[in-house]
Amino acid sequence: MKQVAKLRKGGAVRRRAILASWFVVAMVFLLGDGGFPTTASAEYGDVVINNFSDSAGMRPAVFPHWFHRIRFRCKVCHADLGFKFQAGGNQINMLKIVDGEFCGACHNGEIAWSVENCDLCHSAQAGTSTQVHESTLQKLLSNGAKETRDGKK
Amino acid sequence: MERSKYMAFADRLLRGLLAGLVIVQTLGAGAAAAQQRGEDVYNKVCIGCHLMGIVGAPKAQDVAAWRERYKKGEETLIHNALNGIGKMPPRGGNPTITPDDIRAAIRYMAGDAARSPVQANSGAGKEKTSAAGAEQPVAESSPARTDAGIGKKIVERVCKGCHELGVLNAPRIGAAADWKPRLGKGLETLLESALNGIGNMPPKGGDASLTKEDLRVAIQYMSAPSASAKATSAGGAEKAASDGGKAAAEPAPTPKRVTLTGVNRFNRLMTPPAERNRPPALDGIHDPNNPGTMALQAPREAFITLPKGQSGNYVDWVKALQEALIAPRFDRLDPSKKPMIMDLNIVREVKGSMPDVVYPHKAHLEWLDCSNCHPAIFEPKKGANSISMAEIILGKKCGVCHGKVAFPVAECRRCHSRKKPPVAVTRN
Repeated sequence: MKQVAKLRKGGAVRRRAILASWFVVAMVFLLGDGGFPTTASAEYGDVVINNFSDSAGMRPAVFPHWFHRIRFRCKVCHADLGFKFQAGGNQINMLKIVDGEFCGACHNGEIAWSVENCDLCHSAQAGTSTQVHESTLQKLLSNGAKETRDGKK
Repeated sequence: MERSKYMAFADRLLRGLLAGLVIVQTLGAGAAAAQQRGEDVYNKVCIGCHLMGIVGAPKAQDVAAWRERYKKGEETLIHNALNGIGKMPPRGGNPTITPDDIRAAIRYMAGDAARSPVQANSGAGKEKTSAAGAEQPVAESSPARTDAGIGKKIVERVCKGCHELGVLNAPRIGAAADWKPRLGKGLETLLESALNGIGNMPPKGGDASLTKEDLRVAIQYMSAPSASAKATSAGGAEKAASDGGKAAAEPAPTPKRVTLTGVNRFNRLMTPPAERNRPPALDGIHDPNNPGTMALQAPREAFITLPKGQSGNYVDWVKALQEALIAPRFDRLDPSKKPMIMDLNIVREVKGSMPDVVYPHKAHLEWLDCSNCHPAIFEPKKGANSISMAEIILGKKCGVCHGKVAFPVAECRRCHSRKKPPVAVTRN
C-alpha cells in the first residue's frame, strides 16, 4: 500500500514496481489460500438442511447443535417439539415455522429472534447437501473417498 | 506441460499486475479505473449500509462525514474496514474483497474528502504513527523482558486460538508484518481495542478475568518478532519498509503452508488444534458472502470457558453441565424447571476383550427425556436389545446421537468402562 503511494511521489522505478507487484501477488495468495479451506471443517453436529432450499433459490439452512445445546437440553426440541433424530427428516418448511412448529416454537421474536432474519439460518453455501457435519458416518465415507483418490495417484 | 502452463500464467499475471500498477500511477486513465473499481466494490458490498448511513456508517459521497474520518489517515480507515469497527463487520462482511478493493471503495465513497485533504492529513497521520512508534520501544524495552513469561502463559491460554494462525485476520503471534500497522496506532489504542473487543475479537479475547495489564503483556508477547522471524528479517525492519515489503511478507506465509499442506506432516489425517472450531465464515459450510454469516457466533468464543474434550466439538459437555458452566433450559419457556433424574446404571457385558459397557441413565436424563429413546430406539427391558459397534457407527442405537452430537465412538472408554473379571487362561 505504502509502496504505491511512494511510487506516485517518486516516479516509476521499475525494480520497485516488480517488488511491489510481487507483494500484491503474495497478498493475493495469502488471502486466497489462508482464507478458505478446500474441505469443510464446520463444527461437529452442525446440521445442514437442504430439503427445499436449493430448488427454491435460497441458501440451505444450517442448524448449529452446539449453540443450541448451550441454551436448551436435547429434550426440549427432540421430545417436546417433536424433532426427529434425523437430518432433513422433519420436512420443515417456512409455513410450519411461521405457524409455530419446529424452529418457530422459539424463533418467533419472543424466545429467540424471528423469521425475518432469513440469512442467519439460510447461511450455507449453495448446493451443500443435507448432512450432520463431522458425523462419524460422514467422516468414514468422505475419508474413504479421499483414500481411493490418493490411491489412484 | 502443466508447469509451463503455470509459468505462462504466472508471467501473464505478473505482466498484468505490472501493467495495472503502471496504469494506477498514470493519473488520467488510472484514476478512472480505480474509481470504477471502487464503485463496483461499493455496489457489491458497501451499499447495504453506506447508502443510507445505517448504524452510523458514513454515507457515500457525504464529504463532510468522510473528511472527519479521513483525519485519522487513510491507512487507519482501511485497517478499520479490514478488521471491522463498531457495527461494521470485517471487510464489510465480505471476506473475498481485498485491501485494495477497500481502498478503492473508501476513495469512491469519500469523493472529494479523499482527494483534497488526503495529503495534508496523511502527513499528520504519519507524524502520529512515528510518534507512537517512538513511544513503542520505550514501553517495550523495560517491562517486556520480565513479563515475557506471563505474556506467554496468557497467550497460550487465551489468545492462541485465533492469533496463532490469524483466524479472521487476527495478527499472528510473532509476525511483525501483522503487528506493524496495528502498533502504529499506539499501544493504548490497541489495548482499548483488546479490552472492548474489535471486529470479530470478543472483549478481552473472551476471557473476562484478564486485566488491562494482562492484555498489555500478551500484546507485547505476541507482537515481539519470533525467533524465526528475527532470523529472516535480521536487522531489516527499516529496510523492509522501503524495500517493497517483500521481506516482511515472506516469513508469514512460509511456515503456514508447510504445516498445513505438507504431505509428510505429522498426524496428517487429524485436525490440528488451530483448525478446530473454525469461525462460520471460514468453516467451508457457511457462505462467506452471506451477510448473516458474520453475525453468527464463532464456536471458539463460546467454548473458551468450557472444559476441553477429546473429540467432537472438543468440549466436555457432560462436565460443562455438571459444573454449571452452561445452564441449558429443560423447558422451552420456564428456565427454573429441572429434569427428573433416575440414577440407574445398566451394565452390558460384551464379547471379546473390551471392558463391559456401563450405561448411566443419570448422565442421559440430564439432557433427555425417557421418550427420546424408549421404546423407539431401545426396548425398555434388560437383554431385549442387541447392539453392535457396526450399528452404532452406521447411526443406529447409541449412534443416533453418539457420532452426531454426543461424543463419538472414538472415546471407547467412556462407555466400555468396567473392567472384566480376570479369566483363567490355559495354554496348550
